[in-house]
Amino acid sequence: MLQVAIDAVREAIVVVDASGRIETWNACTEQVYGYAGSELRGKPVQMLYPADDRAVRPIEGLLAEARERDRVETEQWQLKKDGTRFFANLVVRFVPGEEGVEPHYVTVSRDLTERWRASEERYHEDTKFRLLVENARDYAIFMLDPSGHVATWNEGAQRIKGYTAREIIGQHFSKFYLDEESRTGKCERELEIAMREGRFEEEGWRVRKDGTRFWANVVIAPLRDYRGTHIGFSKITRDLTERRAAELDRLSLARTQEALRLRDEFLSVASHELRTPLNALQLQLDSLHNLAAELEPKQLAKIERARRNATRLADLITTLLDVSRIAEGRLTLNLRRVDLGEIVHDAVDRLDESASLAKNAVVTSIGSDLVGMWDPLRIGQVVSNLLANAFKYAAGTQVDVEVKRDGGDAVISVEDHGPGIAAHQLDRIFERFERAASARNYPGMGLGLYVAREIVVAHGGTIRARNREGGGAAIEFRLPLLTTTKGSST
Amino acid sequence: MNLAHRVLVVDDDTEIRETMVEILNDEGYVAVGAADGYQALEQLRDPEDRWCLVLLDLMMPNMDGRTFRAEQLRDPALAPIPVVIVSAMNDVAAAAEELKVSAHMTKPIPLSELIQVVRQFCAGS
Repeated sequence: MLQVAIDAVREAIVVVDASGRIETWNACTEQVYGYAGSELRGKPVQMLYPADDRAVRPIEGLLAEARERDRVETEQWQLKKDGTRFFANLVVRFVPGEEGVEPHYVTVSRDLTERWRASEERYHEDTKFRLLVENARDYAIFMLDPSGHVATWNEGAQRIKGYTAREIIGQHFSKFYLDEESRTGKCERELEIAMREGRFEEEGWRVRKDGTRFWANVVIAPLRDYRGTHIGFSKITRDLTERRAAELDRLSLARTQEALRLRDEFLSVASHELRTPLNALQLQLDSLHNLAAELEPKQLAKIERARRNATRLADLITTLLDVSRIAEGRLTLNLRRVDLGEIVHDAVDRLDESASLAKNAVVTSIGSDLVGMWDPLRIGQVVSNLLANAFKYAAGTQVDVEVKRDGGDAVISVEDHGPGIAAHQLDRIFERFERAASARNYPGMGLGLYVAREIVVAHGGTIRARNREGGGAAIEFRLPLLTTTKGSST
Repeated sequence: MNLAHRVLVVDDDTEIRETMVEILNDEGYVAVGAADGYQALEQLRDPEDRWCLVLLDLMMPNMDGRTFRAEQLRDPALAPIPVVIVSAMNDVAAAAEELKVSAHMTKPIPLSELIQVVRQFCAGS
């Protein structure tokens, strides 16, 4: 009966004789150590304990201690038949001899592997969690005691707020607030709200150790132990200064873009509205001019001046409208098969009057058979803009216009003998509202070359400015020629 | 001599309309103005008159140029009258193609161009 009870327990019970040999054991012993009964009987009890490990107390020492003190209890490694170890609670009892009975020992071993593993896992989990919190760099995560004094500190808190744990633990968290806010009880209010509602969150300015401010997201929540007792608060702070700055930048960019859109829309509407009355004016002036035969020379001269200025006004409006089209991506090209020579000839002829007024002699050298798919009006406009530019900045000089083939491209250059372009301006003169000289000396909006570049680029071409070796500016643009053989027609 | 010799100038802007009418009259044509599509249709349907050309603005109140053109083409008596678009709009060329008109001009138009176009369609006196 007793044997049945002894076999049912979950401890390995081994009876060892006075000389340290195994005498008897229960059923659990065979399971725990993995030996069959015959392998145990009469063997030294040392076989159940690792011999080569200093961390393990030798069983003979434990037996001797038990002999002195009746009972010894310890937790240590034991050894299975297959050589693996298990961690066990071990109780050694000494049973003194009686008459006719030798003294002996009883060892009771309880396998702690499961419990040990569970506690080790919990230990690892706790460690992982602690490391996670301690090492979080982007979040200040720390605890406050119930009265708002800092109780723990992490890496992120040190990084964001600038205090080391030693400096700040024990201090009231009002140190992180602007003076005027902490004076008016903001910190206490936040803890009250956290207690009442289970959570407090806000974005606002906080102060670093060095006195600088940062824009923070703050979450405060009350902490309670397993009995529900309030033990303090968790406080998580993020530094959103950069994100806030980026948001403000985005807002300001959106406002700027809207302002630009409104400006372009205004340009479009205004230039459209200006055209109609200007057209009425031009028609009247043209009509007056047609009466030349009936007019005094002085009257005729005045009419001519008025016409020229009406034309200038019309050109300015056209340029403004082009700029607004380009800005809105609405520059459309009516491409057709055209000869570049004709376009350039026409443009030069059209500006004949301007050339004589500015006392520029225009010398052309135009190659033949330069055919491409281009918008003739737009390319003519580019040539006009380059010529007008030369007349403006190099008045009184010779202007050379050359059109030639260079591989698969047509190259058009307009060169003057004026003052040239300052080196640092060469790349900038094609930008909007840029100009090679001060607005005081030369009139104009600084849009002609910008429009020229946009038209050239829309045709798949390139444009650049350089200074001539002998002085003067040269602007050159290239357009892709048609690759079809000569004689094909459209 | 073509009996159809009247030019109809359709434009809501009084100044440009009257200027064009006046100049064409000076040049020896009989030009008449209309401020929108409704007025234009009314003029064209007057049985007393014969028309050689309509100069048509596109953006007008009440009835715009596009609607006028559609109405004109629906009326067999008016459909053959040539129309030239005169507009300050950006995409005049595209509109001209869509509305199947004889020609188009973008404001501002010089006098010489105006006369040249009218001469193509109308005989002066």
